[in-house]
Amino acid sequence: MDNKEQKQTYKINRRGFLKVGAAATAMGVMGALKASTKVANAANETLNYVPGEKGQWSKLHPNPDYSGAAVRYVEHNDEWLGTTRIVGKIKNVSEADMGFNLAARGLLGEEAQKEVLRFVSKYPLSAALSKVLSAIAPDSAVEGKPAEKKLPIPDPEQMSKHIKDVAYFLRADEVGIGKMPPYAYYSHRATVGRDLMASLPVESWTVPVEERLPYVIVVMVDQHLETTLASTGYDGISSAQSFRGYHATGNIATILAQYIRNLGYNARAHHARNYAAVMPPVIIAAGLGELSRTGDSTIHPRLGFRHKVAAVTTDLPLVPDKPIDFGLQDFCRVCRKCAENCPAGAISFDDDYVEYNGYLRWNSDFRKCAVFRTTNKEGSSCGRCMKVCPWNSKEDSWFHLAGTWIGSRGEMSSQLLKSIDDMFGYGTETIEKYKWWLEWPELY
Amino acid sequence: MGTFLVFLAGMLFMAAIFFIKPRAKQKEIWKTVLNWVLFVVWYAITWMGISFIYINASVGHVKATSTAIFLFLGISVVLGFILARLLGFIKVKKVSDSATSQL
Ligand code: SF4
Ligand code: SF4
Repeated sequence: MDNKEQKQTYKINRRGFLKVGAAATAMGVMGALKASTKVANAANETLNYVPGEKGQWSKLHPNPDYSGAAVRYVEHNDEWLGTTRIVGKIKNVSEADMGFNLAARGLLGEEAQKEVLRFVSKYPLSAALSKVLSAIAPDSAVEGKPAEKKLPIPDPEQMSKHIKDVAYFLRADEVGIGKMPPYAYYSHRATVGRDLMASLPVESWTVPVEERLPYVIVVMVDQHLETTLASTGYDGISSAQSFRGYHATGNIATILAQYIRNLGYNARAHHARNYAAVMPPVIIAAGLGELSRTGDSTIHPRLGFRHKVAAVTTDLPLVPDKPIDFGLQDFCRVCRKCAENCPAGAISFDDDYVEYNGYLRWNSDFRKCAVFRTTNKEGSSCGRCMKVCPWNSKEDSWFHLAGTWIGSRGEMSSQLLKSIDDMFGYGTETIEKYKWWLEWPELY
Repeated sequence: MGTFLVFLAGMLFMAAIFFIKPRAKQKEIWKTVLNWVLFVVWYAITWMGISFIYINASVGHVKATSTAIFLFLGISVVLGFILARLLGFIKVKKVSDSATSQL
């Protein structure tokens, strides 16, 4: 295939994409949420539950909050995961090959190998968050046997709504339920700390992931707007912002998984200190974002990628939500703000996708990102791309609502919004009045 | 403060309508329509600008605030001038024919 042909194949504009998913889109998520009234009534008698309206997202949040973005619900099938095109067989990847583990194994240079052991703990606040999160790291915290008596779930739609309410009650900012893509599981997961990874053969510290459960519940927590506005994106607070999200979502997911097991169903929590699955595909499957130019991070229409997630895989009877399309592929194609601002040059400026492990994505280099984040001498880790991205650099306001609406309507309006964003200096500014944290350069 | 600005905007809108009503009505209907449309556009842009500047300044977006002052208030002044001219608040002296004929 010559280059031109290849480009044609890989450049999928939103219109083309929508044609493919048109039938599914027309149905919308409401169409997917159908349950017989008889069954629902039976559920009420058993559970003493006052049902919400049909198609309601949850009782605490009757509608999902997508800010002003124009959102379409799209299909999840063998050819697409949300707006990500699948072009071959997606292989399950090993946790041993994720960026920080490559660094720990010495495959990203000596400095990254040394620093990966301290890049979070060198900043006292992130060290504290990380240590507390470690309390729920053991397998015994994230998985276990379900209760012997399986409680009846007569209405999966009602249960889905209830699970979302539990997540909101536990202080999730967003929650979604997806069909679990089998390729989102790690092929193998790591069982030792990073300090031991280089000295032992990989086979001795990885175990195959055999679990295959049908659903995934994804909980999302904001990394904090004001802190993002005041930070450079790669100063001391950066890793603490990540761990604020990891800690909060990790706790929510662990409690949620235990709750589901108490109901008699299988459930496993996945969080930053104990994953058996990769998070971006489950976020997409649960309708909480689209894959961005960064290659690995997804963007939510309201929170951008100023968030962290944890997940629960389960066989609890649920009605999954659909992946969403809010025009991010067109937006990322013209925007490139993260690429312009990435201190590691890790993010691609390309117009078109490349094929990567059986799917199409931008050709960004997670290895360069892992090296910069571990060896950053001006702070702890990095989230500069998150800080500058137009989807998450502003407070709630009528013009941000209008902006996200404009930005979700194709390449031309995306170009307009990107120019306005630059003209007003959003994203690249640092607003000193919110700088509440302390910096210890001597520790970096 | 936000609520007060909304209240103020509403009050001033009504007051302005009463104020320009006698001058907005013209013999040709299209001129009357033009006056009112221009007034509504001018008023909306002015208050959009005030709201945009107010929110950005209170959050601390310095560049957005200063750019918006030039942009929105600039548009507002130009539109305001055109409107004032159409409504007859500003009159331009006509160059007399006799002055030309003396050349
Ligand atoms: S900064 Fe722009 S290109 Fe990068 S992820 Fe955000 S929207 Fe996409
Ligand atoms: S986290 Fe930092 S180094 Fe990594 S891609 Fe984003 S901006 Fe670049």
